[in-house]
Amino acid sequence: MLSAYTTRLKLRLRKRFQRFVARRNPPARSVTLDQKRIFIFPSRVGFFFGLCLVVMLIAAINYQNNMSFALTFLLATLFVIAVLHTFANLSGLAIHAVHAQPAFPGHQSEFQILIQKTKPRTYYALHLQWTDSSAAVVNLVGESSERVSLHTAVGKRGWFNPGRLLIESTYPLGLLRCWTWIDLDLHALVYPRPVPCGPLPGLATDKPDGSAVPIVGNDDFYGFRDYQVRDSLKQVHWKGLAKGQSLQSKQYGAYADSSVWLDWNAFPGLGGELRLSHLCYWVLEYESQNIEYGLRMPGVVIAPDVGGNHRDEVLKALALYTIEGRAR
Amino acid sequence: MKAEQQIPRNALVWSVITLFALVAPHLSRIPLWVLAVYVFAAFWRSMVYRGRWSFPGQGVKLALIVTGFTGIFLSFGTLVGLEPTVALLLTAFALKFIELAERKDAYVLLFLGYFICVTEFLFTQDLLIVLYSLFTVTLITTALLALHQPGQHKFNPRTIRPAAVMLLQAFPLMLVLFFLFPRIGPLWTVPLKSHTAMTGVSDFMRPGDISNLSQSDEVAFRAQFEGDIPPASELYWRGLVFSKLTDGAWTSLRYYQVPADQRRQKNPDITGPSLNYSIIMEPTQQNWLYSLRYALPLQRKVTKTADYRLYSPVVLEDKYQYKVRSWPDTRLELELTPWRRDTELALPPRDNPRTRAFAQQLRRDSSSDRAFVDALLQKFNRENYVYTLRPPTLGEDAMDEFLFQTRRGFCEHYAYAFVVIMRAAGVPARVVAGYQGGEINPINKTVIVHQFDAHAWAEVWYEGEGWVRVDPTAAVSPDRIEWGLEQALAGEGSFLENLPLSPLRFRSVVWINSLRLRYDALTWQWQKWVVGYNSETQFDYLQKYLGELTGRKFVLILLGSWALVLIPVGLSLLARRDLKRIAPLDKMYLAFCLKLEKMGVARSAGETPGDYAQRAAQVLPAMATAIGNITGLYDDLAYNNAAMTQSKEAAVLNELKMAVRGFRT
Repeated sequence: MLSAYTTRLKLRLRKRFQRFVARRNPPARSVTLDQKRIFIFPSRVGFFFGLCLVVMLIAAINYQNNMSFALTFLLATLFVIAVLHTFANLSGLAIHAVHAQPAFPGHQSEFQILIQKTKPRTYYALHLQWTDSSAAVVNLVGESSERVSLHTAVGKRGWFNPGRLLIESTYPLGLLRCWTWIDLDLHALVYPRPVPCGPLPGLATDKPDGSAVPIVGNDDFYGFRDYQVRDSLKQVHWKGLAKGQSLQSKQYGAYADSSVWLDWNAFPGLGGELRLSHLCYWVLEYESQNIEYGLRMPGVVIAPDVGGNHRDEVLKALALYTIEGRAR
Repeated sequence: MKAEQQIPRNALVWSVITLFALVAPHLSRIPLWVLAVYVFAAFWRSMVYRGRWSFPGQGVKLALIVTGFTGIFLSFGTLVGLEPTVALLLTAFALKFIELAERKDAYVLLFLGYFICVTEFLFTQDLLIVLYSLFTVTLITTALLALHQPGQHKFNPRTIRPAAVMLLQAFPLMLVLFFLFPRIGPLWTVPLKSHTAMTGVSDFMRPGDISNLSQSDEVAFRAQFEGDIPPASELYWRGLVFSKLTDGAWTSLRYYQVPADQRRQKNPDITGPSLNYSIIMEPTQQNWLYSLRYALPLQRKVTKTADYRLYSPVVLEDKYQYKVRSWPDTRLELELTPWRRDTELALPPRDNPRTRAFAQQLRRDSSSDRAFVDALLQKFNRENYVYTLRPPTLGEDAMDEFLFQTRRGFCEHYAYAFVVIMRAAGVPARVVAGYQGGEINPINKTVIVHQFDAHAWAEVWYEGEGWVRVDPTAAVSPDRIEWGLEQALAGEGSFLENLPLSPLRFRSVVWINSLRLRYDALTWQWQKWVVGYNSETQFDYLQKYLGELTGRKFVLILLGSWALVLIPVGLSLLARRDLKRIAPLDKMYLAFCLKLEKMGVARSAGETPGDYAQRAAQVLPAMATAIGNITGLYDDLAYNNAAMTQSKEAAVLNELKMAVRGFRT
């Protein structure tokens, strides 16, 4: 009963604290840590140290021993001085959002941030972590900045923000914990979850499995293969040979149907998310088979193509379908 | 184990240094095998580091702890008391080091280390030990700091710097707290230093006891006089009055041996000039205090006894400081009560028959008590009595043997014989023990009294004069009283013969002696102002400098004086130190903003340079390129300067300067 109450109280306090933090630290691409953003409180070790000091003080009182008094006070005031030093170990750090890798739901995404000094001093044992992410410990001693990658599992389709980044440090003595929560404007794109489905109906392909058939011809450049005796000399990749690569010939292909269209309307009766998931599956399929594909969705038309950039563009369109986009 | 919970190698090395630095000052009071445990622990941990051995398992740990406890118990015969407790603490400290695996182990180890520093002070608060402890505290703090510098795989001697800086910053705050913190009495009784032998003159004197004490060069106490120091021959420091002779040994009267109505001191009529002085005694584990007669304590907590001595109700376990005023000319106890007279005349029956017979004969031949005393001193002086630190041991009738056969003795022999002769002849007399003379330190005008100044003399009671001091040793060896023991034993060469390295044997070497005296003067100041700072002196100082101290005032003074240190330290730590480098950049950008403002585009509060530039470019499309250029340069310098070299930065700064200067419609 009581514990339930305290848990509720704790949750409420935590929520209130988070709101307080959010008010103080609005999201930004770059944040420089200053007095307003940094919180400090004795760590568990600090409380233990305090307990030790009390024991020492009792010994000093009971033995009426002045040097014991002096040592106890020296350590107590060291604790006080450590507040400033612990604080200084976060103060003046600039945190920049660098990059967030797109990922599929439930997969790990890499979030890159740059942590940079704005003061000529050393920083030790900076612990960086998003709520559910891997943690990193960074020293900034000789170098003036350091790139940090943290991995965390992303949520559902759209933009994923890992929440507030916790930066904490107990340097120099471990007696105090100094921390800050910063809301970095850093979002990872989350693609729809790929869900396989049967062959797409109504697609203009020759093969029922929807794959394109490469016909060796002169239409479009398709790739390289090791030179074979029957290959035309016109097709030899001379430039590659000049660079010292083995003899290869260029392959040109023509598709049975020059382009495949992935169509929103190809899934009658299915829900929006499932459609996106199927479309996503087919994007990956075609990409792996090197077949050109285009995308047709309400409000979005992407001309057929193949390759990494095209893939990213199509997946982004799928990811952000009906979700307010961002200018990045 | 998480990476940050690991102990960096640097911290490990600092911990080993700390380990041995902490045990060093305790070596004299712990069994030697404890040191072996330290070497063993360091060895084991280094083998773990090299990957050859592993951390001890639960069973091994338990076995080690049990062995440690048993060892301490066998060495001391007990686990109660300060020394066994400290030895246990030190052993636990070493054993904890073996299982130093994670950061949390290190916290326990290092905090225990701080505690061991405190225990050292319970034994001694000497200046050198305190300085040394300050050093060990710095070592512990360094190890603690190194623990929070992950990735330090090499021993780094410079780690001590930030730790020392922090301690230096804490030091003034500590001084304020030390000065202001109320000194209250003990909360409960604490284990005593059970194994420390009582030192100094003891309440039990057999022939040979004081000559043993005189082999020691340790300091018994130091005294500082207000005004001139009396001549050495007047410095008879009374500590004990031996009124009782049983089984060949003199003892003082125990509290219960004195009738209730005789316990209070009879206040004498004070006459003559007075001497004011303060004394700092070394710990004796005894109760009596030393003073020149007739002494009155100038502070509470010191009591007076019926035989005109000063007495501390608590055993002197630490150095003890007290202030005294003495009137040497005052006559003591002009009237003797019957009980007192009987006590001061009592002799064990049938002892020393020859001495008794001699005494009675000599008294009959003398006209008065005073003449009788003179005659006896004449005898000591004229006949071939020898003052020696190597007296022969005496048998059953010790005084018969000493007076008529061996004739070689130290002060206690002469005092003993003198009082026995007096009492045998019906003259009240008693032995007084304490110290005589002392070394004058010219640097701070203190008298340093060493153990070898221990002395025994006599007091005789004359009708109408009270107790009068008579020193039979002075009759045998006047040099002892005038010049001290070293001169008196010059012929024998026995002065501190067992202490070849004692600095006191090198008093003729000027620089050694001056160094010794200087340090001694420092010790006096240290003792008087720091170690001796107690509730009384605290009250006096606070009254004197701060007036009435209320709680509010206390907090104000504490925080005010702390702020004097904390604010500069905080500013130096938290202020932007690169202000100079940034200032010209900001100045230029502000100049640019000012120019734009004159053109009608004012920067709103909180607007980023990027947003501002965009807005300005829309309003002033003709200037868009220049605006973009300046903002870009500013952005590069302010936020992307990490990758720039210094010369590149200067070049960009110059470019910005030109661009801003040339920015006009």
